[in-house]
Amino acid sequence: MLLLQELLIATALSLARMFSAYIISLLLAISVGSWMARSRAVESLLLPVLDVLQSIPILGFFPAALLLLARLLPGGLGLELAAVFLIVTSLVWNMIFGVYTSLKALDPSVYDMAEVYRLGPAARFFFIYVPACRESIIANSLVSWAGGWFFLTSAEVLSLGEEEYRLRGIGSLILDSFSREDLAGFYSGVAVLLAAILATYLLLWNPASVTVLRLPLPGVPAVFEVVKSAVGYAWGGLAQVLTSLEVKLGVVFRLPRPIKAALLLLAAAAVAYSARGLSLEPLREAAPVLSSFPLELAKSLPRVGLVLLLSLGLSVVIAYFAHLSRGVSMAVSMAGEVLASIPAVVWWPLLSNLALSHPLGPSIVMLIVYLQGAFWYVYFNLIVYGLASVRKDLDELATVYRVRGLPYLRYVFVPSLLPSLATGLLSAWGGSWNASIVAEYVDMGGRTFDMQGVGSLISKAAAQGNVAALLATSLALSLFIVLVNKTLWVRLFRFIERRYGGE
Amino acid sequence: MPKVLTISNLRKTFIEDKRVLEVLAGISLEVGEEFISILGPSGCGKTTLLRIIAGLEKADSGEVVFHTPDKRVGFVFQSPTLLPWLTVLENVALPLRASGVRRDEAYEKARKYLSLVGLRAFEDFYPRELSGGMKQRVNIARALAVEPTLLLMDEPFSQLDPLTAESLRSEVLDLWLYGVTTVRAVIMVTHNVDEAILMSDRIVVLSPRPAKVNGIIEVNLPRPRDRRSPEFQKLEDRIYELISA
Repeated sequence: MLLLQELLIATALSLARMFSAYIISLLLAISVGSWMARSRAVESLLLPVLDVLQSIPILGFFPAALLLLARLLPGGLGLELAAVFLIVTSLVWNMIFGVYTSLKALDPSVYDMAEVYRLGPAARFFFIYVPACRESIIANSLVSWAGGWFFLTSAEVLSLGEEEYRLRGIGSLILDSFSREDLAGFYSGVAVLLAAILATYLLLWNPASVTVLRLPLPGVPAVFEVVKSAVGYAWGGLAQVLTSLEVKLGVVFRLPRPIKAALLLLAAAAVAYSARGLSLEPLREAAPVLSSFPLELAKSLPRVGLVLLLSLGLSVVIAYFAHLSRGVSMAVSMAGEVLASIPAVVWWPLLSNLALSHPLGPSIVMLIVYLQGAFWYVYFNLIVYGLASVRKDLDELATVYRVRGLPYLRYVFVPSLLPSLATGLLSAWGGSWNASIVAEYVDMGGRTFDMQGVGSLISKAAAQGNVAALLATSLALSLFIVLVNKTLWVRLFRFIERRYGGE
Repeated sequence: MPKVLTISNLRKTFIEDKRVLEVLAGISLEVGEEFISILGPSGCGKTTLLRIIAGLEKADSGEVVFHTPDKRVGFVFQSPTLLPWLTVLENVALPLRASGVRRDEAYEKARKYLSLVGLRAFEDFYPRELSGGMKQRVNIARALAVEPTLLLMDEPFSQLDPLTAESLRSEVLDLWLYGVTTVRAVIMVTHNVDEAILMSDRIVVLSPRPAKVNGIIEVNLPRPRDRRSPEFQKLEDRIYELISA
């Protein structure tokens, strides 16, 4: 009974964290994305920054950020904020890009129309920007929501050397039960977590996708309808109030320059204040760790390559069957949503029997965790964007001339998917490096699995509380990823765009 | 005739790939209560002129002065520019709501102008459910619903099929001639000589870029105008001469 109560409270807390992080991400995505689409200066500044942020291993930087926030805001609040912040970092990037690209694709004469009829910032926001990116917000939410759960446990349990932070929630409950060898607690925790994830998809995201994107997904629309009409009502009211306020007061939604500058200064001062304890004096400690970086990178790189290949092959095959049958599509998507959401850290304890029973066990579990952080990006990109771009006339052409099986895959199906496949692979590439941090090293209840590699290097630095080494390795890894993005991926994208984009 | 607008000595240059493109080389024009067409070859800067009058772009020098107390402007875009997520009614009411008019009042006004363009029955439709001509009618209703003094039209019939364009021309002309709207002056940009003679009181012929006023032609033909009348033909010849001058 006590367990049930604890389970429910923990789940409610975790859900609250997820929803707050989602709402923050949504607001961030809409404001930053529309700002980027509107202003050349902001666009040229933020586009490369976001490009980097999207693909670097956020998990590596997180302990430092958490320490900053925890020192800045004493008590539970700093920790709560830090946890929500981590979840936001796993939700927000693709949402920002989604908003940005859909506003960029908007007919420029719409902006003229807004100018001629003097639509103020509030009117533009409510009547143009938000409705214009509705579809991409829903599509990206579907993927982001899973990504958020995947990092939930990392946000609820975090240790940096001797300092360990623990927040009450379903993620920390699962890990605690496991390390106390409380199997009943562990399995019921996992079951409740799965149920919560399943419920959010069935009640909210799937009906939303069915309504907005017309994707074939199973769901129970009743709850969504209620949420939708409530949100719609509140939204309409807010639009009404803010647009008329805007007209009465003139344009007030712009902060005057001095206030902006003061806010920036304040933020800088706060960061400096909280960072005072984090002196980078032990840089010497970072040097030996950093010197082993190239070797460890060489160990992780083939793993990432293998994971990307597996993700590619698996998702094309599954997408093919999903394309052929609506039933398969629904079943696989649902399974994907839940599997993709299972927190990274839970996989190791969940598969601990496998990990301990066979000499190859740890490698297999590592691969599974790796795949978790990469595969779904490719898969969801194919399901949400790719399948929609397989043109009906090409499909009909294939039917008329009886192009089936391998030739169909080779000449019609895969080429149609290539643009979204490339986008998915790029995200998966960043995602798998992030996943390497939880895949290559795990410490559970005294047993540690150390698979070597760059992710393990970062995890160990965090476990030893070596902040300098942690930041240095994370930075080095980010640099490597960005370098590959700017050389290899950019070329691949250009090639695909030229060869397979459009007519 | 009371003056509505004075345009004096507008100049505009664009810089494109480090090349300086002079677009308007000093345009002046008095606009009374009349229908004016601005006629010129493609790319001569007609649309830039219209955009400066509408406040969408700033001139390098020169000014646009309204003589009426009410400076509201309606703009009929070349393509309908309707928001696909709003219904016909919501699209027409949007500029009103953005200027602080209460919702029901905005809708009531929008309905009035939708009736004028004959689309009252389609107010709950979405733009994708309408034909090209109907969308352009919504565009016109939206411009009229802000109850403007000046109506600007940027090649409003150029993207329609010939039959639809012809019937929409006479509808717009009827609205203008019967004085059922608040519009006191119309400036229409076009490259269609025939359309300009058919509709306007005066035709301003611009030169190729950089645009100057090549000549202003008064059209004193009685309405409704007959394209096959010798006077019409004579005017047409004169205008073609002016354009190539």
